[in-house]
Amino acid sequence: MSYQNWLNYLQSAEKNSMISGRLRKVLYKFPDGKQMAEEYNMDTGIVQRRAWRKCKQLMGEPEWEVELGEEPKQLNWGGNKDKGADADSATGEEFTVRESNTAPLLTKRVTKKNIEWRIRNMPYPLTVYNVKADAEKHAIVVSTSNRKYYKVIYVPDLDRCGLPPVQANITIHHQFNTLIITYRKPDILCELDAQVLMLLKNVDTETDMDDLMKSLLAK
Amino acid sequence: MAEAEKIEVRDITRIERIGAHSHIRGLGLDDVLEARAVSQGMVGQKDARRAAGVVVQMVREGKIAGRCILLAGEPSTGKTAIAVGMAQALGTETPFTSMSGSEIYSLEMSKTEALSQALRKSIGVRIKEETEIIEGEVVEIQIERPATGTGQKVGKVTLKTTEMETNYDLGNKIIECFMKEKIQAGDVITIDKASGKVNKLGRSFTRARDYDATGAQTRFVQCPEGELQKRKEVVHTVTLHEIDVINSRTHGFLALFSGDTGEIKQEVRDQINNKVLEWREEGKAEINPGVLFIDEVHMLDIECFSFLNRALESDMAPVVVMATNRGITRIRGTNYRSPHGIPIDLLDRMIIIRTVPYSEKEVKEILKIRCEEEDCIMHPDALTILTRIATDTSLRYAIQLITTANLVCRRRKATEVNTEDVKKVYSLFLDENRSSKILKEYQDDYMFSEINEHEELETAAGGSGGAKRRTETGGGDAQPMEH
Repeated sequence: MSYQNWLNYLQSAEKNSMISGRLRKVLYKFPDGKQMAEEYNMDTGIVQRRAWRKCKQLMGEPEWEVELGEEPKQLNWGGNKDKGADADSATGEEFTVRESNTAPLLTKRVTKKNIEWRIRNMPYPLTVYNVKADAEKHAIVVSTSNRKYYKVIYVPDLDRCGLPPVQANITIHHQFNTLIITYRKPDILCELDAQVLMLLKNVDTETDMDDLMKSLLAK
Repeated sequence: MAEAEKIEVRDITRIERIGAHSHIRGLGLDDVLEARAVSQGMVGQKDARRAAGVVVQMVREGKIAGRCILLAGEPSTGKTAIAVGMAQALGTETPFTSMSGSEIYSLEMSKTEALSQALRKSIGVRIKEETEIIEGEVVEIQIERPATGTGQKVGKVTLKTTEMETNYDLGNKIIECFMKEKIQAGDVITIDKASGKVNKLGRSFTRARDYDATGAQTRFVQCPEGELQKRKEVVHTVTLHEIDVINSRTHGFLALFSGDTGEIKQEVRDQINNKVLEWREEGKAEINPGVLFIDEVHMLDIECFSFLNRALESDMAPVVVMATNRGITRIRGTNYRSPHGIPIDLLDRMIIIRTVPYSEKEVKEILKIRCEEEDCIMHPDALTILTRIATDTSLRYAIQLITTANLVCRRRKATEVNTEDVKKVYSLFLDENRSSKILKEYQDDYMFSEINEHEELETAAGGSGGAKRRTETGGGDAQPMEH
């Protein structure tokens, strides 16, 4: 099976787990120095957020890179919030460059059957977009005929199963200034998700996860 | 490629001011390290240059740490010139730190801290790192300054590639970078997201017809393709000192530009040494030892010398080149006398390159090169007189006369400096010999002459040659340091 590598990699990690509310949070510490954090919804067994921390070399503390779900700092993203404040308090919010808050924003979501990308702040009609699966790059390429947006979206989930993205699995949809790209999960990916859940079953948490996992796998 | 770059750099210095050693472009050696008579701005001094060439080779191979080379010779025999030549020969990739011995006496930093910073500035580390950069053509740029003139600036920039277009908000520090680089619509730029460095690649081809005339240095480039934000593996060449600063401060990279580094803890340095060695084993980094040049090394005191003794033995030490124009003199901070004012134990670790005074022919060659460098056309007769002046007084004085004579010549609206001009400036400006002669003659008319008398009595009692004695006391290093 082609996802065995990924499974072994997860197995090699030192795992910690905790439950807060209806979320189970898992922290993986891999032997090569990388760290991964995941958040599982306990009702559905779906990953809601996944973030990576790679060791950086020069610049002190490394930052989390979000692979899946919303970035936490989006909540106080409000670009010109510090306008009214005096200079002293504004220095706390130092930044070098950032995309303005009207720029398109890409987020990824995973459901039981699909992988979903939402690109917010995209006002153009559906005909403008061209979404292609690029098997060579192992990515989905979004381009626009008016040359306003272009993005190469890598799909690490498919890479883990060793699959290239397939055009037939892509559907797009445009609504409320948002472009939604949906990719139907291949069977092998669903299988991998189930395997990962099995793996996590053995990770200790304060609460007993056994019953929950059983009911999820039964579905 | 390297040639083209050199020419570009030279073009800039043309507009700027001209430094004393700006004419030197290398050591002037051929492939087998034989010194050519006149080459790359270097004249004469064949043995010293050949020796320096060997040192350069040694540095390039980078295998030997902690070697120490002393350039010893009389004043104005080209010690600093050889050091500059070495720096040029090593190229921009190899770190070359140049400092003067007296630089370490700062009130803000201890002497050893200044020295270890200088040593660490001379060790380069090439690091491969993946960074996120934004690369695009500027479509529109807006920088709003508050009406009061102070306070937060607000900046917005729109960048595009052939495929897309995005608006960015600019932080305060990066606005400064934008203004410094004079970035305007139509420029193709890169922004390093982590460090906030802005780099102008050139102007976009589509904007080539915006102006009728463009400067010689304007480069036209294609508008980038694909996404604006890219992950790129870049190779940084940083010095150990820079890594120290980044890790000792919370500000990160930007502390480097503010220059305010202060003292760095030894623990931080040890950690970084370990980290760098680790990276080297993993193949992420490459250590690139460079050269530390300490001019006027006799100005260092005994503490610095003993510190250097120890520091040179560490495996992270660069090649240290020192220069001095002193003979047997007091080691600063002690009452002991030693050759070159350097303790014997340190001298023992050095290899010494001697520079010899220039011959008349060589002096003429140097003056000719300087004339070219300063855009001064000189009549051959005037050059002969100038050479004469140089041999009678000093080479530095003669070089000073080039600029002044050129000015005098321009005042009479001529293009070529002739003998009259040189004679005129020779009478206008005194050299050191004539000036001291006058001083001796009119000693009594100057203020505080009685103190000088007292000192003269002392020198007479000392029995050493007058001129030599003067330079020694003039250096101000004869007195032991107080603690």
